[in-house]
Amino acid sequence: MAPINTVSQVFDAIRAVKSAAPAFCTNFFPIERKVQAWIDHGELAGDLRDGTALFFRKDRDFWHLYFCAASPGTLERELISVKSLKTERMVVDLVGNEAALSELLVLLKQAGFRRYSQLQRMARSPESGLPPASTGDAVVTNAEPADREAIVDLLDSSFDRYADQLPARHEIEAAIAGRQMLAIKCGEVLAAVLFFETQGLTSTIRYWAVAESFRSRRFGATLMRGYLQAHAAVRRFILWVVATNENAVQKYQHYGYAPDGLVDHVLANQLIP
Amino acid sequence: MKSLPEILKEIRPEFDFTTSNNFMEDGMLDSFDMVTLVSTLDKTYDISIQGTDIVPENFQNLQTIEALLRKCGVQL
Repeated sequence: MAPINTVSQVFDAIRAVKSAAPAFCTNFFPIERKVQAWIDHGELAGDLRDGTALFFRKDRDFWHLYFCAASPGTLERELISVKSLKTERMVVDLVGNEAALSELLVLLKQAGFRRYSQLQRMARSPESGLPPASTGDAVVTNAEPADREAIVDLLDSSFDRYADQLPARHEIEAAIAGRQMLAIKCGEVLAAVLFFETQGLTSTIRYWAVAESFRSRRFGATLMRGYLQAHAAVRRFILWVVATNENAVQKYQHYGYAPDGLVDHVLANQLIP
Repeated sequence: MKSLPEILKEIRPEFDFTTSNNFMEDGMLDSFDMVTLVSTLDKTYDISIQGTDIVPENFQNLQTIEALLRKCGVQL
């Protein structure tokens, strides 16, 4: 694994693998500005092999593994000799339905990964309408740079870092600067956040969390209404949620979200408890 | 045979693809939709879109997708 220093290293490696690929397979759909941010913060490493490009993104105390391979067989052959799979905590995501991914799931298991979690995508159309206004006095604001550490703490304590692709500090800073982090505060204390990304006509909720000591005060509902109200022009709302988290799934269903069939299989290596 | 706008409409019924010049920037298609679209185009037109062609630039709008289909031998 060696540091990646330029975006073109990533895209050139992918192109090289694709150009000689009888059955190209990948779990990597890079967006240039995100790759650049990972590089800027020294989070991205790579291992470019014969017919396979492996990328590793550092996240807290573990790595996300992304692969591009000329074929599943090539990937299987190369993964066996990747030493970091046995020495570093590693997570890999595969998006798609079980049947289409069966071959990759088997070979990743052979490489030492096990099923860790499963996320499902949920989508909502604007026809679902706005939820009723909350009766409380909570005020939705945009989070400020000074809220960063409180947001990190809230997200880290509310979600599973291995499954939920939690944002790095620089992503939180960028979201705050881009006014994509709604917050409710009680005095100076952060009570709840809703982190979203909007691209054109589609908006994605990345995280929605209420601090434990502020629950049952309808802060979550107030944030959700504020978010939906501010996105009247959006035609498609999506999010990813842990499929077994019935409480969260039911909450999203309440706001008109429904599973759209896309599933993210999260696999972890043996070093992750 | 279904037209390209009809195929796109089946994948993302909430959008009018005839009004956009950049499906990705306008949030009408994401990378997962692109995979679905490639598979649907392969089946519909009995072609095999090469991995090197599965890049966002080829799926920006109706014209770029049609150019890709022509490159794959489809007569539109």
